[in-house]
Amino acid sequence: MSEPFEPKILAFLCNWCAYAGADLAGVSRLQYPPAIRVIRVMCSGRVDPLYIVNGLKSGFDSVFVSG
Amino acid sequence: MHVVEYLLDLSGIGRNRMQLRWVSSAEGQLFADYVTQFSDLTRELGPFDLDQFKLPLAAVEQTLTSPRIRWLMGMSRQLTERENVYHEKLNEEEYTRLLHQAIEEEYEKALVLEAIKESPQLVREISGRIGLPKPRVSFWLSHLKNSGQAEIKGYDETTPKFVALAA
Repeated sequence: MSEPFEPKILAFLCNWCAYAGADLAGVSRLQYPPAIRVIRVMCSGRVDPLYIVNGLKSGFDSVFVSG
Repeated sequence: MHVVEYLLDLSGIGRNRMQLRWVSSAEGQLFADYVTQFSDLTRELGPFDLDQFKLPLAAVEQTLTSPRIRWLMGMSRQLTERENVYHEKLNEEEYTRLLHQAIEEEYEKALVLEAIKESPQLVREISGRIGLPKPRVSFWLSHLKNSGQAEIKGYDETTPKFVALAA
Protein backbone atom coordinates (compact mmCIF):
# COMPACT_ATOMS: atom_id res chain seq x y z
CA MET A 1 0.00 0.00 0.00
CA SER A 2 3.06 2.22 0.09
CA GLU A 3 3.04 5.11 -2.34
CA PRO A 4 5.98 5.40 -4.73
CA PHE A 5 8.78 7.31 -3.08
CA GLU A 6 8.86 10.94 -4.16
CA PRO A 7 12.18 12.50 -3.11
CA LYS A 8 12.34 15.85 -1.38
CA ILE A 9 15.35 17.86 -2.48
CA LEU A 10 16.50 21.10 -0.98
CA ALA A 11 17.98 23.41 -3.61
CA PHE A 12 20.16 26.43 -2.96
CA LEU A 13 20.16 28.58 -6.09
CA CYS A 14 22.27 31.63 -6.83
CA ASN A 15 20.07 34.64 -7.52
CA TRP A 16 22.05 35.61 -10.62
CA CYS A 17 22.76 32.26 -12.23
CA ALA A 18 20.81 29.14 -11.41
CA TYR A 19 17.74 30.94 -10.07
CA ALA A 20 17.44 32.83 -13.34
CA GLY A 21 18.13 29.55 -15.12
CA ALA A 22 15.30 27.90 -13.20
CA ASP A 23 13.10 30.85 -14.06
CA LEU A 24 13.95 30.46 -17.72
CA ALA A 25 13.20 26.75 -17.53
CA GLY A 26 9.81 27.68 -16.16
CA VAL A 27 9.14 30.40 -18.72
CA SER A 28 10.10 28.12 -21.61
CA ARG A 29 7.88 25.42 -20.12
CA LEU A 30 10.61 22.82 -19.80
CA GLN A 31 9.51 19.80 -17.83
CA TYR A 32 11.42 18.87 -14.72
CA PRO A 33 10.48 16.87 -11.63
CA PRO A 34 8.61 18.68 -8.84
CA ALA A 35 11.02 17.28 -6.24
CA ILE A 36 12.95 20.45 -5.47
CA ARG A 37 12.24 23.11 -2.86
CA VAL A 38 14.18 26.22 -3.71
CA ILE A 39 15.99 28.63 -1.41
CA ARG A 40 17.31 31.65 -3.25
CA VAL A 41 20.67 32.95 -2.08
CA MET A 42 22.49 36.00 -3.37
CA CYS A 43 25.51 33.90 -4.27
CA SER A 44 26.19 30.17 -4.04
CA GLY A 45 29.31 31.13 -2.08
CA ARG A 46 26.86 32.12 0.63
CA VAL A 47 26.02 28.47 1.24
CA ASP A 48 27.86 27.26 4.30
CA PRO A 49 28.66 23.53 4.65
CA LEU A 50 26.47 23.60 7.75
CA TYR A 51 23.39 24.50 5.67
CA ILE A 52 23.72 21.19 3.87
CA VAL A 53 23.81 19.24 7.12
CA ASN A 54 20.89 21.25 8.42
CA GLY A 55 18.95 20.50 5.26
CA LEU A 56 19.43 16.77 5.76
CA LYS A 57 18.55 17.17 9.43
CA SER A 58 15.27 18.87 8.61
CA GLY A 59 14.09 15.85 6.67
CA PHE A 60 15.20 16.47 3.08
CA ASP A 61 16.48 13.46 1.20
CA SER A 62 19.28 15.33 -0.53
CA VAL A 63 20.68 18.79 -1.11
CA PHE A 64 21.40 20.48 -4.45
CA VAL A 65 23.60 23.55 -4.70
CA SER A 66 23.75 25.46 -7.94
CA GLY A 67 25.19 28.76 -9.06
CA MET B 1 32.36 21.29 -0.86
CA HIS B 2 35.23 18.87 -0.89
CA VAL B 3 35.14 18.81 2.92
CA VAL B 4 31.42 18.07 3.01
CA GLU B 5 31.76 15.30 0.44
CA TYR B 6 34.58 13.74 2.39
CA LEU B 7 32.60 13.92 5.63
CA LEU B 8 29.43 12.50 4.10
CA ASP B 9 31.43 9.52 2.84
CA LEU B 10 33.19 9.11 6.16
CA SER B 11 29.91 9.08 8.06
CA GLY B 12 28.32 6.52 5.74
CA ILE B 13 25.67 8.96 4.53
CA GLY B 14 27.33 9.07 1.13
CA ARG B 15 28.37 12.00 -1.02
CA ASN B 16 25.53 11.41 -3.45
CA ARG B 17 23.13 13.14 -1.10
CA MET B 18 24.69 16.44 -2.05
CA GLN B 19 25.48 17.91 -5.43
CA LEU B 20 27.02 21.11 -6.70
CA ARG B 21 26.36 22.15 -10.30
CA TRP B 22 27.12 25.28 -12.29
CA VAL B 23 24.22 26.68 -14.27
CA SER B 24 24.18 30.13 -15.88
CA SER B 25 21.06 32.23 -16.24
CA ALA B 26 20.77 31.37 -19.94
CA GLU B 27 20.79 27.63 -19.40
CA GLY B 28 17.22 26.71 -18.50
CA GLN B 29 17.50 23.38 -20.29
CA LEU B 30 20.68 22.48 -18.43
CA PHE B 31 19.02 23.30 -15.13
CA ALA B 32 16.03 21.10 -15.96
CA ASP B 33 18.41 18.28 -16.94
CA TYR B 34 20.38 18.52 -13.70
CA VAL B 35 17.24 18.52 -11.58
CA THR B 36 15.90 15.50 -13.46
CA GLN B 37 19.20 13.66 -13.05
CA PHE B 38 19.52 14.47 -9.40
CA SER B 39 15.97 13.58 -8.46
CA ASP B 40 16.37 10.26 -10.27
CA LEU B 41 19.54 9.64 -8.30
CA THR B 42 17.84 10.53 -5.03
CA ARG B 43 14.92 8.28 -5.89
CA GLU B 44 17.40 5.46 -6.40
CA LEU B 45 19.08 6.15 -3.06
CA GLY B 46 15.71 6.08 -1.32
CA PRO B 47 14.48 8.22 1.53
CA PHE B 48 17.05 9.58 3.93
CA ASP B 49 16.64 7.76 7.24
CA LEU B 50 17.08 10.43 9.91
CA ASP B 51 16.93 8.02 12.86
CA GLN B 52 19.57 5.73 11.45
CA PHE B 53 21.96 8.60 10.76
CA LYS B 54 21.20 10.68 13.83
CA LEU B 55 24.59 10.19 15.47
CA PRO B 56 26.74 10.50 12.34
CA LEU B 57 24.83 13.58 11.19
CA ALA B 58 25.23 15.28 14.55
CA ALA B 59 28.93 14.41 14.46
CA VAL B 60 29.28 15.81 10.93
CA GLU B 61 27.66 19.02 12.08
CA GLN B 62 29.97 19.25 15.06
CA THR B 63 33.02 18.59 12.89
CA LEU B 64 32.01 21.36 10.51
CA THR B 65 31.63 23.79 13.40
CA SER B 66 34.94 22.88 15.01
CA PRO B 67 37.43 25.78 15.01
CA ARG B 68 40.17 23.49 13.72
CA ILE B 69 38.32 22.58 10.51
CA ARG B 70 36.94 26.10 10.04
CA TRP B 71 40.42 27.51 10.33
CA LEU B 72 41.95 24.97 7.96
CA MET B 73 39.25 25.60 5.37
CA GLY B 74 39.58 29.36 5.64
CA MET B 75 43.35 29.25 5.38
CA SER B 76 43.59 26.93 2.38
CA ARG B 77 44.85 29.62 -0.01
CA GLN B 78 47.12 31.25 2.52
CA LEU B 79 48.75 27.88 3.22
CA THR B 80 49.04 26.59 -0.33
CA GLU B 81 49.63 29.72 -2.37
CA ARG B 82 51.46 31.92 0.09
CA GLU B 83 53.16 30.71 3.28
CA ASN B 84 52.57 30.33 7.01
CA VAL B 85 54.29 32.40 9.69
CA TYR B 86 57.34 30.13 9.55
CA HIS B 87 57.68 30.82 5.82
CA GLU B 88 56.66 27.24 4.99
CA LYS B 89 54.50 26.58 2.01
CA LEU B 90 52.36 23.48 1.54
CA ASN B 91 51.57 21.98 -1.81
CA GLU B 92 48.03 20.89 -2.65
CA GLU B 93 48.64 17.27 -1.72
CA GLU B 94 50.16 18.01 1.65
CA TYR B 95 47.33 20.38 2.44
CA THR B 96 44.68 17.84 1.44
CA ARG B 97 46.38 15.15 3.49
CA LEU B 98 46.47 17.48 6.48
CA LEU B 99 42.83 18.44 5.99
CA HIS B 100 41.69 14.82 5.70
CA GLN B 101 43.60 13.87 8.81
CA ALA B 102 42.07 16.75 10.73
CA ILE B 103 38.59 15.88 9.49
CA GLU B 104 38.94 12.23 10.46
CA GLU B 105 40.17 13.11 13.94
CA GLU B 106 37.53 15.74 14.59
CA TYR B 107 34.83 13.45 13.26
CA GLU B 108 35.84 10.53 15.50
CA LYS B 109 35.99 12.81 18.48
CA ALA B 110 32.58 14.31 17.71
CA LEU B 111 31.10 10.85 17.24
CA VAL B 112 32.34 9.69 20.64
CA LEU B 113 31.04 12.87 22.25
CA GLU B 114 27.64 12.46 20.60
CA ALA B 115 27.42 8.83 21.77
CA ILE B 116 27.79 9.75 25.43
CA LYS B 117 25.56 12.83 25.37
CA GLU B 118 22.39 11.18 26.62
CA SER B 119 23.53 8.73 29.25
CA PRO B 120 26.75 7.40 30.83
CA GLN B 121 28.25 4.62 28.74
CA LEU B 122 30.99 2.03 28.93
CA VAL B 123 33.79 2.06 26.39
CA ARG B 124 32.55 -1.24 25.01
CA GLU B 125 29.00 0.12 24.56
CA ILE B 126 30.25 3.22 22.78
CA SER B 127 32.51 1.18 20.55
CA GLY B 128 29.61 -1.09 19.61
CA ARG B 129 27.33 1.81 18.82
CA ILE B 130 29.62 3.86 16.63
CA GLY B 131 31.78 1.08 15.23
CA LEU B 132 35.10 2.52 16.30
CA PRO B 133 37.76 0.21 17.83
CA LYS B 134 37.88 0.31 21.65
CA PRO B 135 41.43 1.73 21.89
CA ARG B 136 40.35 4.64 19.69
CA VAL B 137 37.28 5.26 21.83
CA SER B 138 39.42 5.22 24.98
CA PHE B 139 41.87 7.61 23.38
CA TRP B 140 39.15 10.12 22.55
CA LEU B 141 37.48 9.70 25.94
CA SER B 142 40.66 10.58 27.76
CA HIS B 143 41.14 13.50 25.42
CA LEU B 144 37.56 14.68 26.04
CA LYS B 145 37.99 14.21 29.78
CA ASN B 146 41.21 16.21 29.85
CA SER B 147 39.64 19.03 27.87
CA GLY B 148 36.67 19.15 30.23
CA GLN B 149 34.07 17.93 27.76
CA ALA B 150 33.38 14.58 29.42
CA GLU B 151 33.67 12.98 32.85
CA ILE B 152 33.47 9.60 34.57
CA LYS B 153 30.05 9.04 36.05
CA GLY B 154 29.47 5.80 37.87
CA TYR B 155 31.02 2.38 37.47
CA ASP B 156 29.88 -0.95 36.19
CA GLU B 157 31.74 -3.03 38.77
CA THR B 158 35.22 -1.65 38.15
CA THR B 159 34.76 -0.34 34.62
CA PRO B 160 34.13 3.40 34.40
CA LYS B 161 31.16 4.90 32.55
CA PHE B 162 31.59 8.13 30.68
CA VAL B 163 29.17 10.97 30.10
CA ALA B 164 29.43 14.23 28.19
CA LEU B 165 29.44 17.51 30.10
CA ALA B 166 27.21 20.28 28.88
CA ALA B 167 29.28 22.83 26.99
